[in-house]
Amino acid sequence: MADLDHEELTPTPGARVGKFINRGDVRQTMLLGLLFTIVFVVLGRWVYPHWMPTVLTKQMQANEDIMIWFTVISAPIAGVVLAIAMQSFLHMHRGDTPPEEGIAIRTNTPVVIIWSAASVVFTIVAIVWGLVALNTDSIAAATDAPKSLIVDVTGSQWAWSFYYPAQNIHTHELNIPVNQPVTFNVISADVNHSFWPVQLGVKVDANRLVTTVVHADPSATGPIDVKCAELCGLYHAYMETSGAVQTPADFTNWVSSIQATGGVQQ
Amino acid sequence: MTTLSHAPTGARPVPNPQKSLITKLNMGTGMVLGIIFCWGTYYAMKAGRDMTDTHNVNKVLLMSMFAWSVGFLIGIGALIGPFRWLIGKDLTDEEQLYLAGDGQGIKRYFKYCTDHKVVGIQYLVGVMALLGVGGTMAMMIRTNLATPGSHFVTPNVYNSLVGLHGITMIIALIIVATGPFGNYIMPIMIGAADMAFPRLNALSWWVLFTAIPVLCSAWFLGGIPTGWTAYAPLSDQAGPGMNAFLATIIIFAVSTAVAGMNVTTTVIAMRAKGMKWNRVPIFVIGATISVALAIPAFPTFMVAMIQTAMDRTIATGFFDANVGGSGWLYANLFWIMGHPEVYVILIPGVAALMEIAPVFVRKPLFSYNAAIAGFAGIAGLSILVWAHHMYMSGWMPSLNGPFMITTEFISIPTGLLFLVLIGTLWRGKPWMKLPMLSVYAFIWDFLIGGITGIYLSDVPADNYLHGSMYVTAHFHYTLMGAALTGAIGGLAYWFPKMTGRMLNERGGYVAFWFIQIGFNVLFLGMFIAGAEGQPRRVADYAHLFAHANLISTIGAYSVGIGMLTLLWAIVHSWRSGKIAPMNPWGAKTLEWTVPYPVPLVNFETPPIVTSDPYGYGRSAK
Repeated sequence: MADLDHEELTPTPGARVGKFINRGDVRQTMLLGLLFTIVFVVLGRWVYPHWMPTVLTKQMQANEDIMIWFTVISAPIAGVVLAIAMQSFLHMHRGDTPPEEGIAIRTNTPVVIIWSAASVVFTIVAIVWGLVALNTDSIAAATDAPKSLIVDVTGSQWAWSFYYPAQNIHTHELNIPVNQPVTFNVISADVNHSFWPVQLGVKVDANRLVTTVVHADPSATGPIDVKCAELCGLYHAYMETSGAVQTPADFTNWVSSIQATGGVQQ
Repeated sequence: MTTLSHAPTGARPVPNPQKSLITKLNMGTGMVLGIIFCWGTYYAMKAGRDMTDTHNVNKVLLMSMFAWSVGFLIGIGALIGPFRWLIGKDLTDEEQLYLAGDGQGIKRYFKYCTDHKVVGIQYLVGVMALLGVGGTMAMMIRTNLATPGSHFVTPNVYNSLVGLHGITMIIALIIVATGPFGNYIMPIMIGAADMAFPRLNALSWWVLFTAIPVLCSAWFLGGIPTGWTAYAPLSDQAGPGMNAFLATIIIFAVSTAVAGMNVTTTVIAMRAKGMKWNRVPIFVIGATISVALAIPAFPTFMVAMIQTAMDRTIATGFFDANVGGSGWLYANLFWIMGHPEVYVILIPGVAALMEIAPVFVRKPLFSYNAAIAGFAGIAGLSILVWAHHMYMSGWMPSLNGPFMITTEFISIPTGLLFLVLIGTLWRGKPWMKLPMLSVYAFIWDFLIGGITGIYLSDVPADNYLHGSMYVTAHFHYTLMGAALTGAIGGLAYWFPKMTGRMLNERGGYVAFWFIQIGFNVLFLGMFIAGAEGQPRRVADYAHLFAHANLISTIGAYSVGIGMLTLLWAIVHSWRSGKIAPMNPWGAKTLEWTVPYPVPLVNFETPPIVTSDPYGYGRSAK
């Protein structure tokens, strides 16, 4: 934060900056800012991933990257805001009478410009990051389409069901093979639902009579929890099932076992 | 701000209204006539109809609810003025003075009273009641979620709790600052004798009042299963309680339109002599921008409710895909209101804190123009971002990118609000009184709410977070952590002017820390549950989320204790608190130049304004 006071003019910009930095309140604020920034960086870089589920797809990795790096990038801004607030809080005035008058700083144009410019830069970084991630995903969905595993997903109050057209099997579990793109065609039999295979990091609403599409690129094996993320009535909380990203061999065996029982999972 | 004595006000007419019907009408007559209208309509419409047909049930219930509202308004005397106009007359001067509540003591709070100060107190009590009801429902929700597998309430009751908590709190927060302070304080702040349309002012409150029993009736009609978003086609499928929700929103939208028009007209047309736009207190600017934003936003919500009502009563199928309608149409209409509404709630709370900060830091508001640019920028952009709530709906994925851009641009004007506050704090030694504590709480809460909002605005991150507890935590940080905190700060600040007494400090401090610590425990726990993958609005959850939910429930109880303590402090102080001096904070806005009780026309002599109200501070050495 630059000095907001117009009055403290010194002959050269360098001397002004030096005098500014040597002020006690400025040093205190800088120290607090550093501490808050470190806290936010630690939170973003190391704590967030601890809370997030296992990454099973490229999409989930993109989500986690955004959570981590947006926190890290915003840390200095949050640090400045909290440091100035805390610094003034630490110098509070108590008692039943007002404190002495503070310094009359109406505005400081360079500070407003610098602050606004920093906000613009931060916003553009966030936008570009998001657009690149969105575009990468869209391109992957288009190029992967021919080799994708197709899964038709139907949401109904209050269960998920899956149909694998190429394998001609109906299931209530969601199993998919690793390292093969998958395209989910999602529809509802009644009200709106939201198809959320949590560890895959993708989500799309299930609408009545309209098919919505979402695709994922599984990159690791592991269990999947499928939930409904749109309030859909009485037993919305219990509209869930499970599944897994499997090795190709396990997936083939699973498909064969269902085909052997007439193509409908028991 | 300078005030000068000028022309004395004219002699008042002596009220002699004993013969007038107006003196016989009050809240009691309103309720009696409202109930008669309601039951009369119910039985008249029910006769000869097949009540096993849900369409007929919905028709009868909806019309009965509207009849209650109209009957109440007639019964309390809201339509006497318009009726007189119909027959070419108007209220007499005596009747108008009577309507203003002059000399009627506490009775005026139960009448159709046009005095803006009475309306302000009515809003304040109404807001506290709504927050109490909504907060009780929140405690029930968190109790049910304290442990997995809890059966504290049934899933049906839980879903209704979620929906009714949501809509109750949304209504409460929309009016939490502009209702009490916008009505009581704002006209005095700008040097006006009253609002531009005093009768419409009373109408806005009493119309809102009629919506409260309608909303409560949802409980007796089976609740609502839809959440406050009331998405179709779930709302088409919902039982009779849904009618109460629809009627509430339609009635509330009328109240909002009337209030919005009144506030904007008052600020534009009734400012004191000399109060140029750059001398208008920042709270007035914020409140005006907020209600001006609500004027175009709420009609779309009202339209969506009317269309839902038509689907449910005459099977129009606007939102029913089976007959060619679309749930996406509903979602668009809802969120075209829904996102500006967030800022309708937020802006007055922030503006109240901007009013408070200079007074307690004894420095000018830093960059008044940046504050206005921040409010205006947020308001302007907020009407272009609604579809970020629909990234995952499947509606127009090609628009996700553009809506992501507009949404993320909001962080620029939002940043200006932070700059104004920290610029005001910079090099200050704040007077740590209750109102000032809210400024600090706001900075922390809104920072968390703002940063997490950036993740959610980003489509790839929203892929994971949408519909999760993370979203619930985020919007509570903005609506409760920022807007409600701002309003509580405003209450602590203006309490002496509104009640003539100081708010009990010890009670206020205890309440503040219980609320703020509890709030952060509650919603930081919810962030963890959301990041772990817990969907929102679920009555039960997997053991994986148990710790995060338990933490949240403990935090919620702390908030509950804090809110009850605050309620005690308010009631105790109002009844027997320390008598407040005219200007306990040494502030420079006009409301602190008038005594308590504030005279009926506010100023014995109209004020003349010669500077802005932020002339604090000394020159630097």
